[in-house]
Amino acid sequence: MNYIHFMSDKIMTKLEILADAAKYDASCASGTAGKRSADKKDNKGLGSLTGGTGICHSFTPDGRCVSLLKILMTNNCIYDCHYCINRASSNVRRARFTVQEVVDLTLNFYKRNYIEGLFLSSGIINTPDYTMESMVRIAKSLRLDHHFKGYIHLKTIPNASPELQAQAGLYADRLSINVELPSQASLKTYAPEKSLAAIENAMARTKDNIIEGKAEKKAPRFAPGGQSTQMIVGADGTDDKGILTSSVGLYQSFKLRRVYYSAFSPIPDASKILPLKPAPLIREHRLYQADWLYRFYEFTLDDILAGTDNNMLDLDLDPKLSWALRHRESFPVDLNKADRHMLLRVPGLGVTSVNKIISLRRYHPLNWIDLVKLKVPIQKVKPFICVSNYRPAIHTLDSQALVQSFKAPASQLELF
Amino acid sequence: MKTIALKPHTQFAVWRDHARECLTQNLSPSQVLWQNGEAAQDLFTSEPCITAPAGTAMPVPKSFIELSELAICHADPQRYALLYKILWRLCHENRALLNLKTDNDILKLNGLIKAVRRDAYKIKAFLRFQQVEHSLDERFVAWYEPEHYTRELSLPFFQTRFRNMTWSILTPYLTAHWDREELHISENENPDHRPQKDRIEDYWLKYYATTFNPARPKKQAMLTQMPKKYWKNMPETMLIKEMLHNSEARARKMIEDGK
Repeated sequence: MNYIHFMSDKIMTKLEILADAAKYDASCASGTAGKRSADKKDNKGLGSLTGGTGICHSFTPDGRCVSLLKILMTNNCIYDCHYCINRASSNVRRARFTVQEVVDLTLNFYKRNYIEGLFLSSGIINTPDYTMESMVRIAKSLRLDHHFKGYIHLKTIPNASPELQAQAGLYADRLSINVELPSQASLKTYAPEKSLAAIENAMARTKDNIIEGKAEKKAPRFAPGGQSTQMIVGADGTDDKGILTSSVGLYQSFKLRRVYYSAFSPIPDASKILPLKPAPLIREHRLYQADWLYRFYEFTLDDILAGTDNNMLDLDLDPKLSWALRHRESFPVDLNKADRHMLLRVPGLGVTSVNKIISLRRYHPLNWIDLVKLKVPIQKVKPFICVSNYRPAIHTLDSQALVQSFKAPASQLELF
Repeated sequence: MKTIALKPHTQFAVWRDHARECLTQNLSPSQVLWQNGEAAQDLFTSEPCITAPAGTAMPVPKSFIELSELAICHADPQRYALLYKILWRLCHENRALLNLKTDNDILKLNGLIKAVRRDAYKIKAFLRFQQVEHSLDERFVAWYEPEHYTRELSLPFFQTRFRNMTWSILTPYLTAHWDREELHISENENPDHRPQKDRIEDYWLKYYATTFNPARPKKQAMLTQMPKKYWKNMPETMLIKEMLHNSEARARKMIEDGK
């Protein structure tokens, strides 16, 4: 445990290089992976999983949650993916952690309550198998040598052998492999060494392993937190329909827990074929909202996209509001009578508000004051609902001015 | 008028005994004055405490007990009175009161509970252990100032997660020591004592500064999750001002370098 003490300057530099290299990967939240802790007879175990999503131990000024020690094992890489800061042809400083160094850093951070666990990714050195094997050794050492019960998320290396992927799942809570770009054509242009087929094969195997692990009670637990992936938005020309279709395919075929969207952001020493301007952050935000509607609000892809311009989500209006304005005939919705499906369609009502409304109307009819007290966004819901003592004016929903009233005067999220 | 004076960090059981007694005496909320703070005791002479007959159970929903155990941890001086008022209304007005989420008293109660839950969650998130140097076995100490009286709610989390570590958590009013088997809680007699920064903290600061993406500063999003009132507990927050100050220049340089 004192190892880190003797090499401090060197480790500090490595930490700086390898945390910097990992920070562009957004798919790093620590997800739900059940409960786990050292029991009363275990006098070595360190750490726990609480059963909920991982705790955010800090927030950086970009608004992101710091939950895991997110680092690369190495930023050396034999691949030359254009969007990647660590591609072979980039001039960034290079570094490589040893297995022991990553283990020490993780344990030391964990004991001070800085983190929930480790998120480990890596550039590809020598061969995909060599890289994956080193990463698995880190996870294995944490689990077997140090009885670590915290969260481990391993990035699967594309083209690594099925045996190594299977081992990774024994020690990790979540596995992920980034598709990075939504189509084979884009991959060919921007990540010539990667293939969609190989990535999808790895996802399919992980899915099968997870299902097998759950089916048999005595089978060893396999990546209980499931798998996730990341797609870069705005580096290639794919429209939102292409991106969301790809996501839905991934959710359906491989039972992914999450698809993360990452607006293309300029990186130091960028490749010449990349756009110079960052993709608007608001586009990333709209994709997350659409993804959310698909997973939790009973929206189909068709609901979200039919009637949009050029198969792109509206940047000025959130996708639910945009749907409502395209389907005014479905409103106003009576909050005292409508079923759950329809309540979830009302702009401004989230799952929590809908649950409160359903619970409350069992005791008395909802009126306007109840809505104010429930803190629903009144201005937003007003044209779309009625309650016991309120109906929107008859022409409100037909008015052309309605769309305009929802458009913000200036976009706050766009930088530059 | 009956006056009851309670200490700032009163245990739920103490409040419950008083409330049960008031209820047995059929005292309406307007007939009871709940005093908060130790000084109150000198100004009013409390009537001698009559213990309610054994076996007198309060006919209230179980969830009320769970909710009041949380609400009583709030620092709001009105909390004892609010809880008694709700208890009274549950017994005399409407047993389903807790479900009426837009009732003014229930709104207040849920507001207190939300703040307490958040405060207790933030301890788990933002508390930082420092390793005590020169000790033979590893020992860790943390100083934390919760906004409400919520530290006790978070202790089981630390006992589970750091079961095989020896640690102490110091707060302005209490200390807790875990010796890997038992938890020892006592008044904090030395409230000015702070643990010293340990050798790993610099790595954490480096990590925090590095994992920030200067191309997308969102200060407000950070402040929503991590308001300034928590910053005193977290060493990395001293870096934030400079990180934000330099972010625009760093992001522009990345674009320039890419051209």
